[in-house]
Order: sequence, then C-alpha cells, then structure tokens
Amino acid sequence: MGHKKSTVSSKRTSSKAGLPSDISFPLEIRLHGRGGQGGVTCAKLIAAIYAQLGLNVQTFGDYGAERSGAPVRAFTRVDPEPIKNRNKVYRPDHLLVLDAALLGPQVLDGVAAGAVILLNSAERAEKYVERFVDFRFGIIDATGIARKHGIGTSSVVIINTTLVGAYAKLLGLPLEVLEEAYRKMGLVDDLPAAKEAYLEVCVRQPAGAVTGEAVGGELENSLPPVKPQTEHAEDIPSRLKTGNWSTQLPGYEDYLAPCNHACPAGNDVVGFIQALKTSGPDAAAEVLLRTQALPSVCGRVCPAPCMHECNRIQMDGAVNIRSLERWISDHSEFLLQAEMADKVFSLAVVGGGPAGLSTAYQLALRGHQVTLFEKEAKLGGVLRYGIPVYRLPDEVLERDLKRILSLGIRSECEHPVDQAEMQRLHTEFDAVIVSKGFSDAYTLSAAGETLDGIEQGLDFLARNREAELKAELSGDVVVIGGGNTAIDCARSALRSGASSVKLVYRRSRDEMPAIDEEIEDAIREGVQLLALRQPVAFRGVGQVAGIVLAEVELGEPDADGRRRPLVTERTTELTCSKVLLALGQENELGLLPDAWQLRDARAWAAEEPLNIWFAGDCSTADGTVTHAIGNGRLTALAALASLSGAESTTTQLQQGSLVAPAQVRFSHFPILAPHQDRHKTLESYRNSFEEVNLGLSSQEEAERCFSCGRCTQCDTCLVYCPDGVISRTDSGYRIDEEYCKGCGICAAECPRRAMDLKDKGLSDAS
Amino acid sequence: MPVELISANHAAALAATLAGRANRTARGFCSGVYPITPSTECMEYLCGQEIEKGKVVRADSEHNAMGICIGASASGARSFTTTCSNGLAYMIENCVAAAGYRLPIVMSVANRTLGPPWNIWADHGDSLMMRDLGWLQLYSADNQEVFDTVLCAFKLAEDPRVMMPALTCMDGFILSHTMAQVEVPSQEQVDRFLPPTDIPQRLDKSAHTLGQMETPHQSVVHRMQHHQAMLTAQQVYAEIQDSFEEVFGRRPADPLVTYRAEDAETLIVSMGTLGVTAERVVDQLREQGQAVGSVRVRMFRPVLDGDLRKIFAGKKRIAVLDRDVSIGFGGVLWGEVRGFAEPATIVQNYMVGVGGGDVRPEHMLTLLAELEQSHESGAPQIVEVA
Repeated sequence: MGHKKSTVSSKRTSSKAGLPSDISFPLEIRLHGRGGQGGVTCAKLIAAIYAQLGLNVQTFGDYGAERSGAPVRAFTRVDPEPIKNRNKVYRPDHLLVLDAALLGPQVLDGVAAGAVILLNSAERAEKYVERFVDFRFGIIDATGIARKHGIGTSSVVIINTTLVGAYAKLLGLPLEVLEEAYRKMGLVDDLPAAKEAYLEVCVRQPAGAVTGEAVGGELENSLPPVKPQTEHAEDIPSRLKTGNWSTQLPGYEDYLAPCNHACPAGNDVVGFIQALKTSGPDAAAEVLLRTQALPSVCGRVCPAPCMHECNRIQMDGAVNIRSLERWISDHSEFLLQAEMADKVFSLAVVGGGPAGLSTAYQLALRGHQVTLFEKEAKLGGVLRYGIPVYRLPDEVLERDLKRILSLGIRSECEHPVDQAEMQRLHTEFDAVIVSKGFSDAYTLSAAGETLDGIEQGLDFLARNREAELKAELSGDVVVIGGGNTAIDCARSALRSGASSVKLVYRRSRDEMPAIDEEIEDAIREGVQLLALRQPVAFRGVGQVAGIVLAEVELGEPDADGRRRPLVTERTTELTCSKVLLALGQENELGLLPDAWQLRDARAWAAEEPLNIWFAGDCSTADGTVTHAIGNGRLTALAALASLSGAESTTTQLQQGSLVAPAQVRFSHFPILAPHQDRHKTLESYRNSFEEVNLGLSSQEEAERCFSCGRCTQCDTCLVYCPDGVISRTDSGYRIDEEYCKGCGICAAECPRRAMDLKDKGLSDAS
Repeated sequence: MPVELISANHAAALAATLAGRANRTARGFCSGVYPITPSTECMEYLCGQEIEKGKVVRADSEHNAMGICIGASASGARSFTTTCSNGLAYMIENCVAAAGYRLPIVMSVANRTLGPPWNIWADHGDSLMMRDLGWLQLYSADNQEVFDTVLCAFKLAEDPRVMMPALTCMDGFILSHTMAQVEVPSQEQVDRFLPPTDIPQRLDKSAHTLGQMETPHQSVVHRMQHHQAMLTAQQVYAEIQDSFEEVFGRRPADPLVTYRAEDAETLIVSMGTLGVTAERVVDQLREQGQAVGSVRVRMFRPVLDGDLRKIFAGKKRIAVLDRDVSIGFGGVLWGEVRGFAEPATIVQNYMVGVGGGDVRPEHMLTLLAELEQSHESGAPQIVEVA
C-alpha cells in the first residue's frame, strides 16, 4: 500500500478579494444531510458563492439508490487553479451537518482538527463544545429559522438557503457577499432567513494548537483495498443485503378512519362495512353488535355524523353508512352470546330509553345480572314515544328490543323510580345506572301560550304513537322549532289530517339541527318552512287562532359558532288552529335524595362516591339517540371497572391518528355515485303512517367504502414494490427487512393509508 | 464570454439548444427524447427550452426517441438525443439504422453500467457497445469539454466529408451531475460556427428511399464509403478546432490529450475522467523523479492509430486503464490500442472503476508501483474499487 496519506496536493493560501485570509486551497467541503433536505442544493449554493468570488468550483452529490430520509452526501471543491480532482471528498476542510442525528464516525471520517464544522441543531452549543473542541464549530437552528420564514412547507422545511447564511458567518465572509450572491441567484426571498442565520449562528474557535490529525475514522478506513482479489473472489458475489441501506421501514398499521372517530356510539364503521363487503350481513352484525345495541333504530334515525366526516365526500359523495347499518340489521338474525363474567354483579338500570337499553345490553353482554326499570308500559322511551312510526315502525323497535332482552335482562315496566325507590335500589343492587333522559320540554314564554290548541310536540307525538289512536287534526298547524322533534311533529301533523303545516324556525335552514334528509323529506311531503321567524305572541279567545311572528336577522356567531338571531320589530300574523312546540327539553334530575350530589356523572354522599352512575341525556344532554347509546356503553364499562376495583380505561370512544382526505389516494378508486335510499312515494301522506324510507336496494354501497386506515389486502403494496420484497401471509403481508431499501413507494401507493414509514434510527455505531 | 455554473448534463443540452437554434434559417431542430438516469437532466433541460422552428418530442421509449431523430434528420432538421445504459441498449437497433442512413444525429451519453444486476453509476460499457456501428465517439473529462464537444460533434457529423452520427460521452454522475463553470458563447457566435445543416440525402428534395435492399457488392461499397468517411474525421476535426478557436477564442480539446508524455518511460492510457486523475498521478510521480506521462483518448472512433503509434513509440511500459470489461476478453480500450505499442513495450491492462467505483490517485499509484516490477505484459486485471 504505502500511499495511505494523500500527497497529491499541498494547500496554498490565497489573498483573493473578499475572502478571509485563513482559507487555504484547494478547499474541500463535505455536507451530510438526509434525502429531501436539499443538501445537494446547499452544496451548489456554496459553490455559487465561491464562483461569484472568481474562484473555480465543482460541486456534486453522492448519488445512491433512492430512499426516503436516507443519509445523503454532497461535495464542493474550490480552487483558484483549474480543478482536476474528480474524486469524492475524503478529507473535508469544511463539514456541514444538516441533521444532528447523523453525527457519527462516518460523518466525521477524515475531518482533521482545525477544520470548520457547522451543525444544524436547535440544541445549545454547550452540548457539543467538548466533542468539537479542536474545531471551529458553529451551531444554528436553521430548521427553526426557515420554518419561521415559511421556506418550504409546514411538513418539509427547506433549510439550505438559511444554513448558507450561517456558513458565510462562520467563514468570516462579509454580509454583502451573501446579499450579492442571493440577488444573483434569484433567492432574495430567502435572504431575510439567511441574514438571521448569519447573525444568530453561535461560533466557537478551536481550543488548542491545530495538529492536523483526523478525529474520525482513520483515513485508511475509507480507502478501499486496491489489490486484485481474484484469489478469494467467489464466482458469484455474496448477496448484498440491501436492507442495510434503509433508514426507514414501511409497515402496516391501523389508523383511525374519520367515520369511526365521528360515531357517537363508538361503532367500528370501517370494520362492519368491510365485513359486510367481504363476508356478508352476519359477519358485519358480529362487528356492529359489539358496540351497538340498537342497529335497526340507528340505521334509521341516526343523524350520522360519520357521513359528514366521510373522506369520500371529497371525491364523489359520502358512503351511505346509516343505510348500510340498516341493511345489516334488516338482513341478519345474528346474536352475540353473553360472556361468562369472573364475578357476576347485579345492576339496576333506571330508564328504558336508548341510553338505558345500551347500558343494560353492554352489562348483560359481559355476563352480569341486569334489571331494567321503566316508568311507561313498554320499553323504548323516546324511541317508542318520541319518534313517529313512519320513521321507526314498531316491529323494527321490537326486533332490537328482543335481541337486547334475549341476553337475560329482566325488565320491570310501569315502575317509576322516585327518591325512596332510588335509596332501595342503591342498597339492593351492586350498582345503579340512571338514564332517565330529558325531563320537561321548554316553553316559549310568549303571550297567549296557555290558549287551547297550543301543545308540546312530544306529547302530540306520544299520543300519536299510542296504540292505533292517531291524533286527529284539522286546519292550519304551526310547528315551532328546528330539530328532529319539530320535523317529526310537522310530518306527523300532515299525516294526522292537517290541511297545512308550517314550520317556524328562528335561524336559517342551514342552521337547523335536524337531519338534512328529514328536512328534505318534510318539504317534499308539503311542509312549508318559515325560517328566520320568532313567535312573539299568540292570538285567540280560548282557542288559538293566530300567531304573531317577528322577522329575525342573524348577528355575530355565538360561542357554538352559529350566528346569533336578532329579533326585529317587523312582524306578520298567521292564522292557525293548532300550534306544536318543539323547542327542546330541560335536564332536571330530581330523584336523588337531598344529601346526595351529582358530580362527574356519578352520585356522591359527602366525599364518598356511590355506586350510582348517570348515563345518556340526563347526564350529557347531547340530545341524539346515538350519543345516548355511546354514553350508555361507556358508563356501563366505567361502572364495571369501578366495581372490579380497576381504573376505567375506556374514557373515550376511539382514539388514534386520523386519516385525512389527502392521505387517501382517490385515483385508485373508480368514481361511483352513492346509492340512495329508496323512498315510497304516496299520493297523499294523510292518514298514512307507513315507513316511507325503504333503505338501500342492495349492499353494493359497501363497495364504496375506502376502508380508510385499514388494510384490505388489496395487493397494491405488493404490486408496486420495485424489489419484490413484499409477500402475502395468512393475515396480511410480510416485508423482507433484509432486502427492503426503504424507498417508501409501497406506503406512498397505499390507497387508504394503512401503511407508514418508520424511522429505523441511526446509531453512532453503524 | 459569460460563465454559467451548470452541470455537464445541462451543458450538453445547452450546446444542443444553441446548435438547434442555429439551424432556424434552414430545416430547424427536432429531437426525440426519453428519460433514464443519469441522462435525464439533459433531456429535461432540453424540454424546457424555447427553440425557434424546433420541437422536442417526449417519446414513449428510447427506441422511438431515436426513430424520431431519424425522421427529423432524414427531413433535414438538426437532431439530438440523450440516453445511456439499458436505454441505449434498447435504442441501439435504430442507432444502427441512423448510421446506415448516414444521418448526422448527435447523442449525449452519460455513461452508466449496464444491468442487471442494476447499477446506476459510471461505466463505459454502454457506449462501447456501439463501437462497430459507424458512429463517431468522443469522450469528455470536464463540463467545458462536454459543452464544446457537443458543438464540435454537430459540425463534425454534418461535414459533407463525414456525414454520420456522433456520440458524445461523459462519465455518469462523476461528470453528468457535477456543476462547474462553463463558458457559454452567444447565439450569434454559435450561428457563425455552425451554419445551417445540409443533409444531401434528405427526403424533402425528391421522392426516394433511404436504406433500400442492396446487393453484396453495393454493401461492400457502402461500407467502404462509410469507413473512409470516418477515417477523414480526424482531419476534419482539426479544421473544426481551428474554426472553433477563430469564433470563440478558445481551442477545444485535442482528439488525444497527451500530458507530459513525450519523455515518459511509463504511459497511462485512459478515457473520460480517469484521464484527469491520471494527470494528477503523473504530476505526483514526476515530483518524485519518475518519468510518467498520460494519454487521454477523447476520440475513440475513428481510432487514431497513427498518432497513438507515435506517442507509444519507445515507451517501456503502458498501463491501459479501462472503465469497462469486455467479458471473456479484457478492457475494450486495451484491446484497441495494445497493437499500436512496440513489441518491447510492456502493455498491461487494468480495469478500474468498473460499475462506478471512485478511482483515486492512490489506486493508480499502487497499480503503477506493481507495473514497475513487471518484466512482461500480464493478463488483463479487473481491479476492485469500491
């Protein structure tokens, strides 16, 4: 060997104008960064600055197989003489490190004491001072500065123009040289960031005498052997484990779909739709019934926040999730079997509405003894007495109730619970969960509100539902309110014989809390919508005959984001013979003994928590069936955890990293309009309480689900892998880590973000 | 002359652009291109240029890219393309046609290893595959040379005495992706250096067929004409150097670049950037009193046998460095030039930097130290350089 020390060039100093005197030539600069950081461009910028000073330059990157986040090197050589060196830089005079995580022997290889080192890091210089005591060392948070100046995007900050500012300062170049260079290169926009780096960079001079010895690996280590190796070369070269090249590895991971995240009941929406698609309604029901006690109900009356969040909205319309849930419940007889509990508790649930039913169902499913107390003659609460049968037929409700009760729940109807009874339940049962729903409905407090013919909408709906006794109406009916109850009242009034139905709402249609499709149905059936009107008085003698409406204007947004209604002086009068109020309900508990308080959805005596929990609207006032079901389940789990002496782990429904629309590759999916519900068109809705929404005609809609964040084994990753290192397994895929270069194509091509790249972590030892 | 800091790939494309514009008063410029690493930046740059009476067609394959160049050139346009490695291998069937039609198409190759197994780095094996097809071949060693060589190649290829396609080669990445200063002349200067092209066999003059079926005797005559025309290229190139110098005030590099060769006992023969590293080694060994020189072969086709014989005369040792392997034979350059050395000269072949290894002066010094001890020419050696 004998040539381990380079003797090819001896250094010369130059007195080039504008350059600090201690720069010697040929000057060799090496830069270490990661793929995508702009390291090669950074080396070019530096070359351009020296070129502007009239020096010969040469700059190039060290190109390898493309890998996301892979370590990248770039070189710049500077000399007043023509440059004949065509090799990579092995003994850099200046070393720039764009990512502190890269610092290791390989990065410092061949760097001699006295060299200039510039590090991009948000850390304080003190952290590195000892390590780089023999160097002129500069440290700058170029990433922070570039981000502050908005260079690049929020996720990919481009730091090269900023870092060069710090480099100029470290060298002692005057600021004017930098300004001139950026102007010439058309980079004036980045100049403020470069200037900030120029001023901010923290510089430490080398401590002792400069010895010129390399601190990194011995230079010889970087010099590969030269002699022919034919005597020990194999016929076929040994296998190259390209997995060693990678800095990142792809993997399969479940991410949270927006529908799952939005579901107030905590249903695994992606799970049940995919099960329906691949294995049919029974498999789907098995997924759905774990969280959902009332699928037939929710499949009809849920406001479906899942559909408002569906990523497919950005492409060709939300998946019709509500009707898929209905399809499953209408086409499967599947029953989940109750588990065996280690210790069986006896629990009382007060209130047979959606929250109570969900609570009882979840408790019974886990093998506990549940008794359900209901003050009315039948179970169902608002489902039975608040939602009209044309939306929720009796037999549908009965089907869900039958499934719930088949788990062995004892129900006691016509059993109201007052304070005394509450005391008794508390002593007799291991725990009591109260889910009595809302109490009294709100009134308007307008003049004339006590006239005959003015009635609470809920009372009207309850009477309407009761037996076959339809509430007969005639004449002009006015419904006041904008929620689902108001819509139900209006459509029921139409069916009960009203000659006209007007819906009065104080804000605009866009702000109505009712389900959109229900509003559309009501208008189609002939309900007239009077938005931006506030009733201020009722007219009539004994019996209501008219209503005075003030016009409303919308002001500044409220705390809830909706614009505040401002009642004006302009009024009009309508004649009417019936008014239904649907203004919402109060939340009043009133069944706790006076010594008990309610705190965090639980009853307390003095500072002692009692085994009494509250679930559903009486606790949360969320006001939808689906929220009540979800809260019922969570309360059941919290109660069981507390009884078993464990901390409840399920405080929220579903958590995780949410799949954004931009992470779904729309181009993978064919455009396919949503399958709409079939509607039965009647000549007249009068006196007909038949179900009008007939749901979907097939389960084909399930095909439209992107399955956001969950692998469907679509083989896209396998097809796109350029190295063929992905293979199928029984449950998914295997990635051969020995050969995966970490290029990231599989994760980029995954249509549904079921894959991600994870940093392997660079170790100093490598 | 304005100086620009550009990569060699861009230098080639810029030269082609200026040459293309220079033909605007005649039949214009048309180019078929298809990307492949490390030649992609060249075609990208070309696609971004506004060329009056010019069209750059993004083809669906290398084969069709050359097909477009053939069509363009056969109708009298100036034509240029770029590719390398397996892209060149795919293009090669049409390259044979371009040579047979005697069309003065210029192609820039950023030399890259042929796969599989896949490798994107520098190796001369791709352009050397074109050795016997009737294309001129020129190899460059820095960015300015790349720029100048492309301009000269158009003039050489289009000279009525030569009239055949030309390859201008540069080491992939080592040169193609290195940025350095390049003197760029004005369009007016290029117009003066490179007048409108006139392709005598072009199809728009009269209805006729190019490359039709012929008898054995006709083929002999055509081969002879093509061969003779290629042999005149050396003389024509010398004239081009003069005219280049007259217009641009700077002389383009010689077909053979000798360096301290005259009084040398030991000579290093190489092509491309290896030759520049060899010159550094020469300086170093001269300092130690050793009589070493270098020859860098820029013009590989036609082979410059007469000049090489003169340069090789009286040498003790010649080390031929090949960045290629002719499997079952040895280095291609070695095979070409070894016959021009005198019988007493030891000619040793080292295949170094095959597949893109970074050949450093230290490597060459070790090889020369070994050669110093030899008393006869040995078998070609493949040297492992990581």
